[in-house]
Amino acid sequence: MALNGIQIFKLTPKKNCKECGCPTCMAFSMKVAQGAMDISACPHMSQEAIDSLSEATAPPMKTIKVGVGENEYSLGGETVLYRHEKTFVSRTRYAVSVCSCMDDAEADAALEAAKVVDYDRIGERMHVELINVNYAGNGTDKYVELVKKAAACDRTLVLSCTDVEAAKAALEVCKAAKPILNGADASNYAEMNAVATAAGVVLGVRGKDINELYDTVAAIEKLGNKNLVIDTTMPTIKETYAATVQSRRAAIKDGDRTFGYPSIVNLAAVAADDTYIQTALASTFTMKYGSIIVMSAMTYADALPLYGLRQNVFTDPQKPMKVEPGIYQINGADENSLCLTTVDFALTYFVVSGELERSGVPCNLVISDAGGLSVLTAWAAGKLSSTSVSEFIKANVEPKVKCRKLIIPGKVAVLKGDIEAKLPGWEVIVAPREAVDLVKFLKELTA
Amino acid sequence: MLINRIFNGNDAVYGLTEGAVDNAIAQYGADKAISFPNTAYCLPCYYAVTGVKVKTLGELKEALGVVKSLMTRNHELDDALMSGVATALCAEFIEVLKFIDGANPYEEPCYGHLSDAIIRELGVPLVTGDIPGVAVILGSAPTAQEGVNLIKSYQAQGILVTLVGGIIDQCEEVGFKTGYGLRVVPLGKDVTSVIHVVSVAIRAALIFGNVTPGDAGALLAYTSQRVPAFVNAFKPIDDVILAAGAGAIKLGFPVISNETENIAEVPGALIQQLDTAAMNATSLEARGIKIKVTKIDIPVAFASAFEGEIVRRGDMQVEFDGSRVDCFELVKSRDLSEVEDHKIELIGPDFDEFEVGSKHSIGYVVEVAGKSMQPDFEPVFERKFHSYINCIEGIMHTGQRDMIRIRVSKETFNAGFRAKHLGEVLYAKIKNEFEAVVDKCQVKIYTNPEDCTKLRHELAIPAFDQRDERLETLTDESVDVYYSCIMCQAFSPSHVCVVTPERLGLCGAVSWLDAKATNELDPAGPCQVITKERVIDESLGAYEDVNEAVENFSHGALNKVTLYSIMQDPMTSCGCFECICGIEPFSNGVIIANREYSGMTPLGMTFPELASMTGGGVQTPGFMGHGKHFIASKKFMKAEGGIERIVWMPKELKDTVAERLNATAKELYGIENFTDMIGDETIATDPETLVTFLTEKGHPALSMEPMM
Amino acid sequence: MPFNHKPQKFNASINTVEIGCGDKAITLGGEKTFPFYTFDAPLENAPKIGVEISDMGLEGAPAGVVAYYGEGASYAEMAKKAAAMEGADFVCLKLEGGDPNGENKSIDELIEVVKEVGEAIDVPLVVEGCKNVEKDSELLPKVAEALQGKNVLILSAREENYKAVGASAGLAYQQKVGAESAVDINLAKQLNVVTTQLGVAPKSIVMNVGSAAVGYGFEYVVSTMDRIKAAALSQGDAMLQMPIITPVADECWSVKEAMASEADMPAWGPAEERGIKMEIATAAAVLASGSDAVLLKHPQSVATISKMIKELA
Repeated sequence: MALNGIQIFKLTPKKNCKECGCPTCMAFSMKVAQGAMDISACPHMSQEAIDSLSEATAPPMKTIKVGVGENEYSLGGETVLYRHEKTFVSRTRYAVSVCSCMDDAEADAALEAAKVVDYDRIGERMHVELINVNYAGNGTDKYVELVKKAAACDRTLVLSCTDVEAAKAALEVCKAAKPILNGADASNYAEMNAVATAAGVVLGVRGKDINELYDTVAAIEKLGNKNLVIDTTMPTIKETYAATVQSRRAAIKDGDRTFGYPSIVNLAAVAADDTYIQTALASTFTMKYGSIIVMSAMTYADALPLYGLRQNVFTDPQKPMKVEPGIYQINGADENSLCLTTVDFALTYFVVSGELERSGVPCNLVISDAGGLSVLTAWAAGKLSSTSVSEFIKANVEPKVKCRKLIIPGKVAVLKGDIEAKLPGWEVIVAPREAVDLVKFLKELTA
Repeated sequence: MLINRIFNGNDAVYGLTEGAVDNAIAQYGADKAISFPNTAYCLPCYYAVTGVKVKTLGELKEALGVVKSLMTRNHELDDALMSGVATALCAEFIEVLKFIDGANPYEEPCYGHLSDAIIRELGVPLVTGDIPGVAVILGSAPTAQEGVNLIKSYQAQGILVTLVGGIIDQCEEVGFKTGYGLRVVPLGKDVTSVIHVVSVAIRAALIFGNVTPGDAGALLAYTSQRVPAFVNAFKPIDDVILAAGAGAIKLGFPVISNETENIAEVPGALIQQLDTAAMNATSLEARGIKIKVTKIDIPVAFASAFEGEIVRRGDMQVEFDGSRVDCFELVKSRDLSEVEDHKIELIGPDFDEFEVGSKHSIGYVVEVAGKSMQPDFEPVFERKFHSYINCIEGIMHTGQRDMIRIRVSKETFNAGFRAKHLGEVLYAKIKNEFEAVVDKCQVKIYTNPEDCTKLRHELAIPAFDQRDERLETLTDESVDVYYSCIMCQAFSPSHVCVVTPERLGLCGAVSWLDAKATNELDPAGPCQVITKERVIDESLGAYEDVNEAVENFSHGALNKVTLYSIMQDPMTSCGCFECICGIEPFSNGVIIANREYSGMTPLGMTFPELASMTGGGVQTPGFMGHGKHFIASKKFMKAEGGIERIVWMPKELKDTVAERLNATAKELYGIENFTDMIGDETIATDPETLVTFLTEKGHPALSMEPMM
Repeated sequence: MPFNHKPQKFNASINTVEIGCGDKAITLGGEKTFPFYTFDAPLENAPKIGVEISDMGLEGAPAGVVAYYGEGASYAEMAKKAAAMEGADFVCLKLEGGDPNGENKSIDELIEVVKEVGEAIDVPLVVEGCKNVEKDSELLPKVAEALQGKNVLILSAREENYKAVGASAGLAYQQKVGAESAVDINLAKQLNVVTTQLGVAPKSIVMNVGSAAVGYGFEYVVSTMDRIKAAALSQGDAMLQMPIITPVADECWSVKEAMASEADMPAWGPAEERGIKMEIATAAAVLASGSDAVLLKHPQSVATISKMIKELA
């Protein structure tokens, strides 16, 4: 059971020395309780206290880091099974798979294609973060060549390889970039563990069923390695789903730390030939506990829904997604087009901009900083006010836009008079209360 | 006397029925099939009451025996009412005989039996309230015109009108059109044809009420609770009609009559109304029918889009300004008999008698009455006036109580807007939004300065004072129930506020009275009753019932909460708290930070940092979100010693709550000017400086029992 | 120590609601576990797929959909083909042309379409109104009347018109009632409470708790469904035990990712492929959140989701 801040505070030296970086011991304790700081940051705590606290505050699931630099990713570290219980912390990462069974041209094309998807969505870079390099048992040299090519793609690698020698050789050329060696199984785990540990990389563990997987993880932990991920891919889709869900649930709900590691789900293996079913399953495993999802390919058609889903599912329920304040020109708007304003809450922005696009009417959508709250919430919290709107418009819109018609959300009709008073020369028009009515409203307004 | 007359009438009808059935058997034989057209329910009334389907004359004869068994003769009201039911069943038997061999006994304009299809069609608007009631008019009105006027009054309200007997001829006499499409349905000229409307009510119970045929209790419960029917019976009322009326009363349908001979009133059931023109109002009140106000009768637009409009001095026709002259707005609850629905009275000059741009007094009293109305709802309604009046195009309203200001624009005035239209708006909005508790509403608008002065001081201010006093004296102990509020669950899924008189919602926006009103107006809504009968620990404010409610409303996320402790199972927060209170270990007290305060607190955390760990419906012992008002409450962390623990607050917040907080400290601990002992950001933002300050001042928290 | 399987057993289950008649009738709900958790208990009834057709015919439909039905297909022909689509369990007729802000077709005209479709097929039918609450409160009672005896599901009763829709569909004509609320567990529960208070049997209600395309506030859909299923199973909350139906196609084919032309977004590739995958990813995600039925449009999506359900069930 996690400790609360007060319980942790009791174990601190209560000196307010600030050496941990927090102004008070209380503030430090609360941060530790939230998981935002590690207990070891306090230089004055007794070893005894640290030991008892580390055990009690240790998360049920380890946070495993892979890759380096820009390509470093945290996996796992989840504390809940459902996002509404708190939040999910480490988003699912997507990988594209290449195999030593491919001929050169095929492999080159696949690697090239993996780089195609790369775009920004609400401030987040969306791209294929990892490349899974599969060893088909057809010669170490061929595998190492492929690994080299993959490593040149500026992506973090997953080496799917159960051959100890091939793994060793492959790591020689890429270990600096901290790939995952996904290759320990019931028969080779001791050797593989030695290879991974020597190279200082994360070891992936697999099994023919969930029991074998569990036993192998336990055996590797016994060897002292807890820098692991678990490959929950099984012979069938049904077993894969069962293993992925059950292992996560065992770790978080039942406190079984042996399964407290991030997962790898290899769809390229379990649903090899059907790109549509891979999309469906990638979506399912993004929802249910896939830390890394390996696919045969990632086109824009796959990425647009999957990355959108991921961004939604891994949003902190307490911190809504925000879009950047600014003027968004819609339907080819120019300086003479109508201005509309709403809040920076991402969902509001998407819904409103979607309706504006459907209307076909060119317009400037003015988004001011409202703390990422919805219209009524922002208004109630004082983050959307006649002052916030008028100041933003004076500073950012008046210099750029000639049109002096401003449409405000129907839910804050109450601001109309004040905005007019603060924005001389502007005509303020009240929009409908719901975005769905915008199309009709704009058509009538501009008719 | 009344009971005897009912028995007599019942016996007479029974005799007639028995004769008619015997005759029919003699004529057609006992195996002859009988049925009403286009129904799957055979003899619907008999089937619904007994669960038996009668299909032949022979079975009808047997059924008559069952009817006889209902006709007990103890001299009790209930026996009389059951005899009424027996009378109705007899009427159904007599009527079904008319349809033997597929005969078509009813001719234009009469409808007689109504098909199942019509009932399915009628049932929907009855359920939705689009047809707010069903009137059964029986006999002949004093004059044809009066009768037709009564029908028209119902028609205008959307009420379905059925006609039996002389009134049908009266309609023809004055050329009044009837028909199903017009929702005026003549049934038949014999009194027994009244069974066809009873049949409608009963089949509605079977179809829409899932009532099992034969479950007479459920049937009567459904008709009396869900079928808004009533009877207007014109004199003369003979024994037979009276017996049939008893049947109606048993189904829950009141009978309103102008008969005065040999009759007695039965409150709520048999009511006298000699004035035909007043029968409508009497009937609606007796049956509890509320007519929806569908449009607001004013010459300008009414929409929330106008809520933020400002009427500038130059555009202003007339102004009422409570800061200069006597003005007020007030809601008063009255007895049902004191209120005439939709009466709007202007006492004093109208807007067109004022000079352009001039300033005047105004006072308006909205008087409401209703069976479930409570004086506690008055301020809840009144607070909405601001938004209602502002939604009128070209009208601006600010303030509340006796500090209001209203401006009417020239344009709106020129469109014909006058004082009474304010009344129309208030009437329509109150009736619509508070339909659940307001049965009747009238508005009085005063514009004579003398009236406004007098009423402000003699009516309004005493009412406001009384309300304030009620709020002051309302304590957690003085009420039987608390309320849940889950309005914030949309973004804080597991959070539940327990709203008590002394602890309003942590957002500061939902008081116990608000929650009570919300519950009354929307019983399935976000505020639900929480009982507090099973005490676990009085001083912590722990109750088994409260815990169960919290578990239920948080969908299992939380299973216990205390009302008065910050350390043990403190109440959770959604994130909209006005303030956060947190334990300050070095002074053995608590600090409070409000949302507006952006600086550092002696805890080493800012408001946003505190908020991030207190929100989200998670219990964080030592920390708690709450409303500003709660700070001066005697229940504020009572379990840990109360407000004496407060050691620090931002200056602005301290100033806001000082008066009330000091009063509480004086009362509880005899401390004068307690806020002088409390630190703020101008004194300290770190624990060491704060403790020094507190020591200097001799703050009581320093010597209290440790909090942890 | 071997892995300790701890199945999550609940005493409660989701209601079963039957739609349609005879051999082709389908049952929604009945599950005693979270979505596809067959390792806890066998799945009672696998989620079902409805194929959407519209009174607006193939207007604006993607090429693959047009090709499947054939240009100029009658309503009856479309209904038959929808019923025959690989992976389809039922047909959903949308009466979007009734929207007063759109085509504003008359109720009589729409009822003709309803009758034509109702007579053409023997698989279960779901009828969805035009979404304008006033129009639907007149239209849907007529739909319920016109399809008497077919045991159809009527979408939807909403807070504003649940009385008219609930009383007609659920009581007068004994159809099944879809209760639609904005994405919020409490609103969903509240609507179920008032609808049952009206007299509609809980077992005649299917919920539509709102939907969104993935990327468009879908987290609210996830959390609402997760919480509803948890409350229904672990809290035994009878007012949340109704099975859930989720319209997916509507949301997915109208977002930019599916609509933007390849000319405007050359990097994105063919628009239809994007629409299909948007529909597939969204359907898979709502099923993983606990939806008991999804409404889809494209034959490829229907085939894929059907295959996925078979694999997981």
